[in-house]
This record gives sequence, structure tokens and C-alpha cells, in this order.
Amino acid sequence: MKDSIIVGLSGGVDSGVAAATLVEQGYQVEGLFMKNWEEDSKYCTSEQDYKDALQICNCLDIPLRSINFSREYWERVFKKFLDEYKLGRTPNPDVLCNTEIKFKAFLNYALELGANKIATGHYAINKSLDGYQNLIKGNDTNKEQSYFLHGLNQKQLSYAIFPLGTWKKENVREKALDLGFLNFNKKDSTGICFIGERHFKKFLKNYIPSKPGIIESCDGYIIGKHDGSMYYTIGQRQGLGIGGVRGTKEMPWYVTDKIVKKNKIIVAQGKDNPQLYHQYLECSDVHWISGYAPKKTKLRAKIRYRGSDSDCKIQLKDSGSIIVGFKNPQFAISPGQSIVFYDKKLCLGGGIINTRWN
Amino acid sequence: MAYFDHSATTPVHKDVLSLMHEVQSKSFGNPSSNHKKGQQARSIIEKARNRVSESVGADPNQILFTSGGTESNNQILFSIIGKSKNHIITSKIEHPAILEALINLKKFGIKYDIIPVNEEGTIIFNEIKKSTKNNTGLISIMLANNEVGTIQPMKKITEYAQSNGILTHTDAVQCLGKIPVKVKELGVDFLSLSAHKFYGPKGVGILFAKDPKLINAYVLGGGQEFNLRGGTENTAAIAGMGLAAKIANKNLIQTKTHLNNLELFFKNELIKNFPQARFNENIKSKLPGLVSVSFPKNKSSILLSKLDRMNIAVSNGSACGSGIVKPSKILSAMGIENDLNLSTLRISFGSSNTNKEIKTLLSALDLILIK
Repeated sequence: MKDSIIVGLSGGVDSGVAAATLVEQGYQVEGLFMKNWEEDSKYCTSEQDYKDALQICNCLDIPLRSINFSREYWERVFKKFLDEYKLGRTPNPDVLCNTEIKFKAFLNYALELGANKIATGHYAINKSLDGYQNLIKGNDTNKEQSYFLHGLNQKQLSYAIFPLGTWKKENVREKALDLGFLNFNKKDSTGICFIGERHFKKFLKNYIPSKPGIIESCDGYIIGKHDGSMYYTIGQRQGLGIGGVRGTKEMPWYVTDKIVKKNKIIVAQGKDNPQLYHQYLECSDVHWISGYAPKKTKLRAKIRYRGSDSDCKIQLKDSGSIIVGFKNPQFAISPGQSIVFYDKKLCLGGGIINTRWN
Repeated sequence: MAYFDHSATTPVHKDVLSLMHEVQSKSFGNPSSNHKKGQQARSIIEKARNRVSESVGADPNQILFTSGGTESNNQILFSIIGKSKNHIITSKIEHPAILEALINLKKFGIKYDIIPVNEEGTIIFNEIKKSTKNNTGLISIMLANNEVGTIQPMKKITEYAQSNGILTHTDAVQCLGKIPVKVKELGVDFLSLSAHKFYGPKGVGILFAKDPKLINAYVLGGGQEFNLRGGTENTAAIAGMGLAAKIANKNLIQTKTHLNNLELFFKNELIKNFPQARFNENIKSKLPGLVSVSFPKNKSSILLSKLDRMNIAVSNGSACGSGIVKPSKILSAMGIENDLNLSTLRISFGSSNTNKEIKTLLSALDLILIK
């Protein structure tokens, strides 16, 4: 008998088509709907997503199960997310969600049920070669998601299937339409999964008290006020509320730095402003997918999802952290975000950015 | 599939199904129309009313057809609006169709008290007395609970209520066909039933009212059901429910014995292999064939999924719209803490279940339970 595979179904197009391809290949497929966030209202807003997942399962004639990982999510992902924000950093909970929830809690659940593998709708390729599980960039350069998966280890990858690694998004939608999925046109999810369409600022306010402070230009002039430094991200242009400032050029302002202790936001004018660019960074919490640091030191790295890869050189420190030197200065390096290393299309692993300098 | 979730819903009896099919295809007239087609439909509805009233020992004009147990329960509670005695007493283990409705009634100035239950799920009678106020107008206590099957001392409640001039309602949705449901013996003023729990169709139910003048219309419309429930009648469903009620009543003793035997067999065998199993019940007063059992160290969500993979259907508490299981409020009210609560399965047998099917369930449980 072919493997029994449990597919994480979010109610979206990608995971649905991923499940369909596995059904077509003759696997014994089951869907799993994960709920990682307790609603604050009594209405289940994940209900529509669940119904979409159920409709997909009906089309494919496979069973759907539900599981609540909201306690695990809160403990292992959300608490860290809040801690990082409190430190003035910009965390990426989706990376942690993969290592802690999808490829830990969900994987364990699937194995306990008796499945052999799990699958998700991620756009990435998982290839077994020379006794190693290799994580390779997905073929759709626009949707490619290896960035979010860089925290997985060999064991996790050995149980994971990413059927969409070779697919293009447009073909996924076509396939969904062919299969009769009613959600074929559903909007791609944006931002942080559990917050969904909610207003991010309002959401964060529930958990972190906001402290108004000042916005200062990089040459030391007070030019505005902010309503809480955690609402701002380095590189941010929109929503600063800074109009024309007398005696300055007519150019947009960007956040270049956040000084948490002084509750200050530092801004500079113009996207090309050198204050926004740094050539070096230090990262910690380093993880290598193979289990070992690469022999090469000249690599390529991505400092944000959808960012482009840039040439860099890495230097491993005894402390376990890494110093990264870029060939060209990088725009808006944000502490708290993940840096992910690549050797061509092979995703090697990554770490969390702590500091940057020139 | 071996189906052990009859407290959630039952399959439609084959005779009921063929009657419904016939009615739906031949008697499509609007029961309110004054031509032959309409009158034909009207007579089918009235025949069903007779059948229902006979099976619960009521007069036909005390039987109102609704869309189900939820609507019946809602209608009784909402009928208290505007009455001078507008305080309600109910219990912690009622269905959400009672408890959610009460929350909504707050904005109409309705006050209520929710009395606790003991660890067997039986209401603490003295609490009713303690909660009674001068303006208490209604006591609504379910006849038997949907998760643990505890049968409540309804007669004692109605006697107390009558001597204090209080009306009584009972949600008897789980009961018809499993225990006698006779309105006169129970002494209730109002009673709710739902067809799909006794091998009838979904979307149709019954509200018994000893004196229909005491209730108000909840769904407003064209004056159907003695002006107490607007909307064109669902003739086929009502006809099906009438027949289902008749069959349930006729086979009561037989079904009860069968369910009791299945339950006994299951419990005895289960205990042999899994002595830690804990039954949440009032053994002296419970519905036959409904077993609420906690398996320490096991998670009900995992057990349910594993059984489902083996084509066995059971239940684990009530799920929200996205299929996620939360700790059961009923088990919590019985003092069962969260871990044990989330390790509880509800297994509810039905008239078509066999000992052979139960053996399948037992060997499946034996395979998956963590001991």
C-alpha cells in the first residue's frame, strides 16, 4: 500500500491543490485543519476557512480532521513574538510557526495517527540526495517560500512533502478551478497568519501598551510624534504622519532606527539615504538544515521574505553567531527578522538578525 | 461505517423515508390553500399531529410544529417577555438552545438563575427552591442530558412548580423512543422534541404546550399553526416526523431493552481491558444506550480521529464551526477537570447497532487506547 499522508489544509488554494496532486498519485490522503489562534469573539472566524477546506475534501473524497494547536502556538510562537516586539525588534512568527507548529505539533499528531508523511502547500522543493534532505527554492520565483522553512531540520524534512515546489501559482489556480474547488479565486493570505485581515496596530495594542514618543531626524531634529515605537518597522515609509518639514527637501521620510530605551523613532529622507543602508550584520540562533555549517563562506543571503538574494561572506564566531558582510550595502536591515542563506537554489539555513553596521 | 453517534442524529427510518418521498412528490399543495391539493396537504399535517399527540399523550391542539428543538426551546423562553412573572430557573447542563437564548433575553429585562448539578449530572433540587423568587414564572430543565444521559427528576420539579404557581418546560429532545415521554405523567406545561433524534428528518420539531394561549409566536408570518408559528408548513418533514414518533412509541420497550443490552455489553467488555475507564453518568437514572466515558491519559480528539480512520463514528463533546473540540461545559459542571474532560468520548447506540458492531468498536479501542 502507498504511504498515508496527512495534508495541512488551511482552506486556501495552495494546500488544496497540494492535496489533489497526492490523491492523483495514489497516496492515501487525509486533510487536517489546524486552528492556532483562539478567537476573542464568540464567533468562529476560522469557520469560513474550515468550510473551504471541507469543500476541497468533498471534491477529493478524502476525510478532514480538525485540531486545536492554539495553546502550543501561544506558548511557543506568540510569546516570543511579543517579547521581540517589546524589545523594539520586528519578529517573523511564520518562521517559528513552521518549526514549532506545522513541522512539530502537526507532524507529531500525524505520526501518532499512523500517517507516514505530512504535506503542505508551501512553494519549495524537498529533495533527498546523498543521504541528506535538501531544501531547494520553489520554481515560482515570486511565490517561493524556502525563506519560511529554513528552520527545519533533517528529521522534519524527511517526513515532509511539498507537492507545489515545481508549480507556478497561476497553474495552481487553474488546477483548483478544474477540480471544482470553490475557493480557486481566494485571495492569498497576507501578513501574519493569525492576525489575518485585522488591523495590525489595533491587534498589537491588545498585548503591548503603547507609549507615545518622538520622531527624530537622523541629524537630531525633532520633527514629529509617534504613538508607540512598536508600530514602526525599519524601512517603513507610509504612516509616519510627517508632512513637509520647513527647511528640508521634498522627499519621503523613512524609518532608519528605533531607540527603544529612549522611545524614539529615527527617520531619514529619501530611499537612497545612506542611513538606510548597512553592509554588515550579526545574527544568532543560527540553524543549518544539514546539521552542519557550510564549508563555503561566500554565499547568498536574503534578509526578508520576497527580498532578493545578495552576495555575502560569512564568518562563524565561537559564540555560535555569524558575522555577515555583504558585497553591497543592504536596505533596511531589521533586527528580529530572519536572514536566510543560499548556495544558488539550495537553502542552507539562517539566523535572526541582531545588529547591523557599516 | 459503524455508527455510534445517535445522540447527535439518527438515520431516517426507511418507512419514514418512503412516506416523505411520497408526500413530497404527490402532496405538494400549500396546506393553507382551499383546493383539493391544499386540503390533501392539510390532512397529512393533521394526521401527523394526531400521531405525535398520541405518542406523547397530549391533545392534538396542544402540539405545535416548529423547525426543531432549538426553535421550540427559544419560543418557550421568548414567550416570557412581557409577563409579570419573568424570572426563569434553569440548569448548568442545558443545551445552548436554552442558555444562549437566555443571554439574549437579558436585554428584554428577563432575569434568570442557573442551578448547578452534582457529579452524576443530576440537578440539585434544593437549588431550585433556593432560587425561586416571587416573580419566578418558568422552570426549564431538560428531561435527559445529551452528553451524559442523566434523567432529571422531572415529576418532583413539576410538582414543586405547580404548588408554587410556576410553569415548567422540559427539553426532551434526547428522549423520545428511549424512555417514556408522556406529558401528563411528567406534569410539564411545555416540552420540546426534534424529529431527527428519533429516526425522523432534520429541520422539524415539536413544541407541546398544555395551554397554547400561554405562548407567543416566535416566527411571525401567515398565521399557520394556530397563529403561533408562521411559515408554510414543511408537509413531507411533518408527515415523516409523525410516523417516526408513532414508530418510536410503538417500539419503545423493545428499543429500550436493546439499547440497554448493547450498553451493558459494551461497558462490561471495555472494563475488562481498560479498568481505568471512567463512566460519567447517574447509573440509576440514565438514558439507555448513551455512554460518556473518560479515558485517562488519552486525548479524545486523537481517539476520535483514529476511530474515524477505522470507519467507526463516535463523538467527543461539542465542536465549534471549525470542528475544534473544547472542554465540554456539561462535564465541567459535573466537576470533571479539563484534562479528563478532553479525554472523554460519547458513544451513543441506536436501534440498528449489533453486538458484532460493538465488538468491532471494542477491538478498535483496545488497539488505540494508551493504557
